[in-house]
Amino acid sequence: MLVFATSDKGGTGRSVTTSNVAYQSALAGNDVCYLDFDFGSPTAGSVFDVDSGRLGVRGGGLHSYLLGNVAEPHRIDVFAETERDSVKDRAYDAGRLILMPGDIGVGEFPSSPEQVRRCATLIKRLIVEFDICFVDLSAGRSYALQMALAAAKQLNGVKTRWLVYHRWTKQHVIAAAALVHGDHGILEAGEDLGFDREELLSSLRFVRTALVDPSRPGLTSQQAVWITEWDGKLQAIAQAEGAGPLWLLHTVPLDPVLQWREQLITAHDVNNIGIANERTADAFKRLSELLLDDKAWEVR
Amino acid sequence: MRVQPRQQLLEIWQAVVEHSYRDGEWQWGGRDGRNSISDAEQLLCVLGPATGIEQFALDSPERVADDVQAAMKPLGGVMDIPLTLLEAVEAYLTTYTDKNGTPIFAAESYFRGLPGEDIASLNPQQLAQPVVDSFAISLSLSLATIGFARQFRKSLKRRSSRSEIDRLEAMASKRLSAAMVGLLRSFTVNIFDVDSRDGRALCRTVNQRNLSTRRIVPMIQETLREIRASLRDVTMGSGAGVADELDHPDRLFECGWSWGVVRDAPAIITSQEVGDQLPGLAEPAPYIYFTTVALDAIEALFSTRTRQLGLLNEEQLRLAQGLQLRWDLTQSYWSKIAVPSGGGRWPLEDIPWQRTTEKESEYFSLHVSSIVVQDLVRKRAGDADLDRVGKVLEELANRSRINRRVFAGDQSYLLHAPGFPINLGGSDDQGGPQLTWMMSDFAPLLLKRTISLAGLLGDPQLRGRMLALADEIWSHLDSRRLLDDRRRGLWDQPGLVFEEYDNIFDAPSWYHTKRVVDCLITAAQVITEPPLRSDELAGFAGDLLSEAEHIYDQELLQGSPNGGHAMQMDLLALAAKLKRGRAIRDERPGTASALAIDVLLTLDRFAAARSDLDGES
Repeated sequence: MLVFATSDKGGTGRSVTTSNVAYQSALAGNDVCYLDFDFGSPTAGSVFDVDSGRLGVRGGGLHSYLLGNVAEPHRIDVFAETERDSVKDRAYDAGRLILMPGDIGVGEFPSSPEQVRRCATLIKRLIVEFDICFVDLSAGRSYALQMALAAAKQLNGVKTRWLVYHRWTKQHVIAAAALVHGDHGILEAGEDLGFDREELLSSLRFVRTALVDPSRPGLTSQQAVWITEWDGKLQAIAQAEGAGPLWLLHTVPLDPVLQWREQLITAHDVNNIGIANERTADAFKRLSELLLDDKAWEVR
Repeated sequence: MRVQPRQQLLEIWQAVVEHSYRDGEWQWGGRDGRNSISDAEQLLCVLGPATGIEQFALDSPERVADDVQAAMKPLGGVMDIPLTLLEAVEAYLTTYTDKNGTPIFAAESYFRGLPGEDIASLNPQQLAQPVVDSFAISLSLSLATIGFARQFRKSLKRRSSRSEIDRLEAMASKRLSAAMVGLLRSFTVNIFDVDSRDGRALCRTVNQRNLSTRRIVPMIQETLREIRASLRDVTMGSGAGVADELDHPDRLFECGWSWGVVRDAPAIITSQEVGDQLPGLAEPAPYIYFTTVALDAIEALFSTRTRQLGLLNEEQLRLAQGLQLRWDLTQSYWSKIAVPSGGGRWPLEDIPWQRTTEKESEYFSLHVSSIVVQDLVRKRAGDADLDRVGKVLEELANRSRINRRVFAGDQSYLLHAPGFPINLGGSDDQGGPQLTWMMSDFAPLLLKRTISLAGLLGDPQLRGRMLALADEIWSHLDSRRLLDDRRRGLWDQPGLVFEEYDNIFDAPSWYHTKRVVDCLITAAQVITEPPLRSDELAGFAGDLLSEAEHIYDQELLQGSPNGGHAMQMDLLALAAKLKRGRAIRDERPGTASALAIDVLLTLDRFAAARSDLDGES
């Protein structure tokens, strides 16, 4: 399975959520590959805490591969190379978790047919090797998104799913919905490339991130009342914009650990030192299950 | 109010779902097994609140509240809940439609035979007779379903999913038409001689001032003159064409619903597909219980929800008009008989009510009060009349031992358990013993009427008294819940309250649970209304606000805003409070006074600080 992760705006927690979902998916026994296509600012290395916390690699990363500079992009085995013991500690039946980092200091570049071909070839190979491949795209209507759509078109028969992340604010909801339904959005761009609009839409779901729970301790009663009220309004806006419950895969609650240090949330973080909330870890686990649950992807 | 509809309903929903949905399948049947009424009651335990209270809506996934979703979690996520419910409704509609496509309204296991007789040994054909209860509940279920399905359809994308919803809506609409036809064919006008048993009983009931029969009969006829005239408008279904006989001076009459389709009821001519209209068996005489049930259900046909959502099609609107006419007539009839204008004691206050069959019971008093309350709502009656009905309800609660202790040898509790039997005249016409119907919903029905009455009262004290009564009935009902681990929260275990009643149940009764849910829906509707406005309090709030504003203005005139940051902040906060106080004075005078008092206190701190300059006193 191939999963593209995108968002309209930066700061939605796209990379950190996708990384955590990939991690949970590997823990559940799947062989997982994570491709950092965020060409403008690769970050995955830091989230996975590999290679001394560097954001990407110097040469030999995905950019170099797509530009034809290397024959095979660099691979990092997260479980072997991570600097966090609690990530290393995993059940014996966990799958592999391989990161393909981007190159630092290359930046965005327009995609050419040749790069699309290289991209498709790479994914075709990986799809055979891994149970699930995550491709983390840059925010907005980026070159990476264009390339991903074009490559996906060449990958006939590969089960592909699109995740669109957005925070739970009015601007984010509207922007995320526009990224999908709006001018030059995913659907329109996909149609231009020959996708069936409805079919593409049915493989796409929204993920709401950083949700504030009104029952969370530390909120005043007035804040809780207001949040509940505003939540109702946001629900109505989301519904009207085409990002309502029918197209919602799951939500991820607000968690200080994710806000201040983008990292993998491990069982150790939740159970032993208590810096992360159990509900957050549960949400990632649930997302990893939902990705593979065909019933959740039926359009009703 | 100690009844907290949201918490209580969520708890009930949890229990209903836990009991009704296991291993991905809807589980039917309760204490009395499956039948067309019980199954509908089970569904309405969920669909009733979901369509009757905005906060419990399940048909718009984006509006489902978190706690509501949590209660329904076994059914799945917000998109799955409506689908599962609609699947259950579809299973219901399919089960209760025969192979010719005629909707089935049989009461089966809800019938009772003679004491000691096993109902299962009776001829199935006898048990398959349709009953007004089933027409009535089908009406509620169909209306709920159609509205629910229509709303949920908007959240669906796939054409095939939508067309499935449309198909279900058509099925529900058919059952709705058939139920309306059933109700049109169970209405009846019973005409009797002044000198007959019925006539004498009616005169006795109405005659609360010891008048002679010679004077009471013309009085009754005068009271009912308008109704007699309106009965001429009843042209279709049963109860039609009797107007001429009514004009006879020696005749009196009663109107309402019998227990089923009445004997010789003509078929209704309609363009709607309603299946076969089988001949009826029921004796053509009104039964006060079934009359109350029918009136309650028919009301939903012209509710705001039905009109706003346009739930009826053109032909159904025509049928509904026929029912509305009967609804009006019946309600006015009972109201005129029970609470006539003019002085003296009301027949309603002469508890227990005596039927024209000379049977008497608190149960009949409750049913008549129930109709009277509905009529008072319609007439927007004043507090004085409402209060008198309220006193009747209080007495009924006493007499039925809801808020009084059962003493040794006291039989009054039998009204609740096993209940009060009514014989169904005509049910034995095609062989078999006469069937009976067991009414055992005294407490929930009393609670429902008490809460609606409380909602009508404008006087805070009178309302408070009714709410206190509602609390007492609620705590009685609350202690009748089944205690079993798995079925926590459902009804009914009367043995927990009435020690002498030694029948122990282990399965929930949907008959009871649905009626308790109805009470909570009524309570939620009353709570949704804005709080009572007391003119006195509004005047008081206005005076307080004026004084506060005046002192505030003085403070500004004195140049206090120059007093630094803290002072500026304080004054801004005071201005905001005053503004809010003015804005809400008419709706919430109590809150407005509190705001004014808060402002006055703060301003007084300044005044006190200033007065220090005059020397300590």
